Amino acid sequence: MSNSILESTSGESTAMSADKPVSVTVMSMQQALNRALDEVLAENPKAVIFGEDCGRLGGVFRITDGLQARHGAQRVFDTPLAESGILGMSVGLAMAGFHPIPEVQFDGFAYPAINQIVCQIARMNYRSRGTMPMPITLRVPSFGGIRAPEHHGESLEALFAHVPGLKVVSPSNPHEAYHLLKYAATRPDPVIFMEPKSRYWQKGEVDFAADGDAPTGSKVMREGRHLTLVAWGAMVSRCLQVAELAAEDGIDIEVLDLRWLKPIDAAGLAASVRKTRRAVVVHEAPLTSGLGAEVAQLITQSCFDTLKAPVERVTGFDVPYPSGDLEDEYIPNIDRILFGIQRVLEYKRG
Amino acid sequence: MSGRHTGEQHSHTVEGTDPRLYVGVHDPADDAGLRPVLLLHGFSSSAKLNWEDTGWIMALTQAGRRVITVDLPGHGRSGSPEDRDSYSPSRIRADLLQIAFDAGARPLRDGDPASGLDVIGYSLGARLAWEFGATQHELVHRLVLGGPNVADPLADFDLVAAQRYLADGTPIADASTAGLLKMAQLLPSNNIFALLSLVEAIKDEPFDAAEAVPPMPMLLVAGEQDERAASMPELAKLGARAGSMVEQLILPGRNHTNAVTSRAFKQGAISFLAV
Amino acid sequence: MAEISFPLPDLGEGLIEATVLEWLVSPGEQVERNQPLVEVETTKSAVELPSPQAGKVVRIHGGPGDKINVGEPLIVFEVPDNTAGIVGTVPKEEAPKRRVRLSAVLDED
Repeated sequence: MSNSILESTSGESTAMSADKPVSVTVMSMQQALNRALDEVLAENPKAVIFGEDCGRLGGVFRITDGLQARHGAQRVFDTPLAESGILGMSVGLAMAGFHPIPEVQFDGFAYPAINQIVCQIARMNYRSRGTMPMPITLRVPSFGGIRAPEHHGESLEALFAHVPGLKVVSPSNPHEAYHLLKYAATRPDPVIFMEPKSRYWQKGEVDFAADGDAPTGSKVMREGRHLTLVAWGAMVSRCLQVAELAAEDGIDIEVLDLRWLKPIDAAGLAASVRKTRRAVVVHEAPLTSGLGAEVAQLITQSCFDTLKAPVERVTGFDVPYPSGDLEDEYIPNIDRILFGIQRVLEYKRG
Repeated sequence: MSGRHTGEQHSHTVEGTDPRLYVGVHDPADDAGLRPVLLLHGFSSSAKLNWEDTGWIMALTQAGRRVITVDLPGHGRSGSPEDRDSYSPSRIRADLLQIAFDAGARPLRDGDPASGLDVIGYSLGARLAWEFGATQHELVHRLVLGGPNVADPLADFDLVAAQRYLADGTPIADASTAGLLKMAQLLPSNNIFALLSLVEAIKDEPFDAAEAVPPMPMLLVAGEQDERAASMPELAKLGARAGSMVEQLILPGRNHTNAVTSRAFKQGAISFLAV
Repeated sequence: MAEISFPLPDLGEGLIEATVLEWLVSPGEQVERNQPLVEVETTKSAVELPSPQAGKVVRIHGGPGDKINVGEPLIVFEVPDNTAGIVGTVPKEEAPKRRVRLSAVLDED
């Protein structure tokens, strides 16, 4: 793939750094995901992509744009509007030696496929004593932020993370999207790949080579001394904004992109919070039994003696995801995250 | 498009048996406040083929018109009754009247643009519309007749030859019969024996345009390459003699099959009915 | 701007081609989703094809009387790069706004 690094398709721009022969390309998350899938299809003849509108249209978010033309309708194709069928077919294809990369068009449409995901995909390897692995990469455009109707803004990470046998990952920017998807699509186990749809159009530098940048575990996106903000998906860029604002007030914040939501990088969490001694978890999903609880427990377990305050959670509310008009009230905004930070900062023992 | 198939079967039976006709009602997003438009499709067609896929329903609903479609017996999503009586044109007209009332059409009242019913028919549907207008002048406001026949080509259909052909493949001598049967067989959704029952019923009640003439304004439309274009003036003359105001529209370059999608046809019909 | 090409769709009933009767849009025209694009005739019937896409028409393929095979290019649209697809809207990138100020005495023990 080394030659392709310098190739630039329309809309992308390539920059060369003077001292190192490393190049980064500026592209949107859509383009980065598209590039990753294109390469996966080229590298793995057993990889197949399918879902509602994935083929001819190239996906409602254009993530599979042009893939059917380049790789043929045998490998990139449309399915009926039936998520249980899409995932059921994935099980059969995986049994037959393929690497299915199905798409569930929107988070809320995963519910009709839960039986296939939980009772078949997650368990087949276990049930068959390792003779039927399920190398399935399920792409789910996830989370809110695009003013869409019901079923188009939900955060299902806690549901998936709770199921033994599933791995769950969510990228926060184009670079992460490219590398995490390429890595996920080579795993022998099912991976739920949660794409933050509100960040699809965000452009960022992608370093295709990324030597030494392991696609596993969490990743420190900004270093800081006073407090760790833990986030994933679309909330990472919001936390980075918050960190810049907090710096104006003299608070130095570390932002940890959790990336893998199952398994969670307990060591990475511990390393960051041992240093900062304060933590706030931010997610869009509702508070109760959200993944923030798991993160808070892991931090407490490893950092109990050094923590200066209980771990705070800034999350969505315990209500069904609201319509687009009310979305800004639901998703943690900058002020709510700042309030959470303030609560931790002013905590007094006893 | 805001119009939706309600898929309702009309709930009243006329003259005993239920012919199980499939009725669709399509409401406009912005109602122009005018009377509903009933669409009658041609032989071996359906509301979907004749009116939906061709863009008529969208054009009419976008013009603010409420549209009623019905599949004729043995066609589209309607049932294929066993009894031949269900296919007779007079019985179909009675069913259409009930369907129109069930769908909300009301008798014409002076000064009320929402009262009455406009009817657009194509080919066999034009024949039914002509007779419907002639017998229901208290209800029908205006007629648009596409590809209209003076006499019914189905009346000359050689049923015996068609049945023999279907039984053992004996070729059909009469070109018109062979052509109509081929057309009927093109669509897998057609119930071919129901269509032959319709032909039989039509032979019992052949079209006689002069027998009863609609008194309301009529727009006659045909493709330039449709032989029916040549006989349209005869129908116009009959209408004029009965006191009807008749307009004629010829669609350049079109034939009996492809006149249906013509924009000029749709626009002509919509403006003719927009009064 | 990006271009999206749409082929002649499968018209069902095993039909493999259609003849263009009349185009209802022309290059340069802005069309809405579901707006009628073209009338085509098959061996079985004539149909009006609605637009699968909103956008500006860049090219149309085939004039009246020309045959087009199912799957061959029919029309090409120009669409903005950042169209949101079918559902939702593209979020605006805005400078972060705040009302909350942090205040803390950090004992660096």
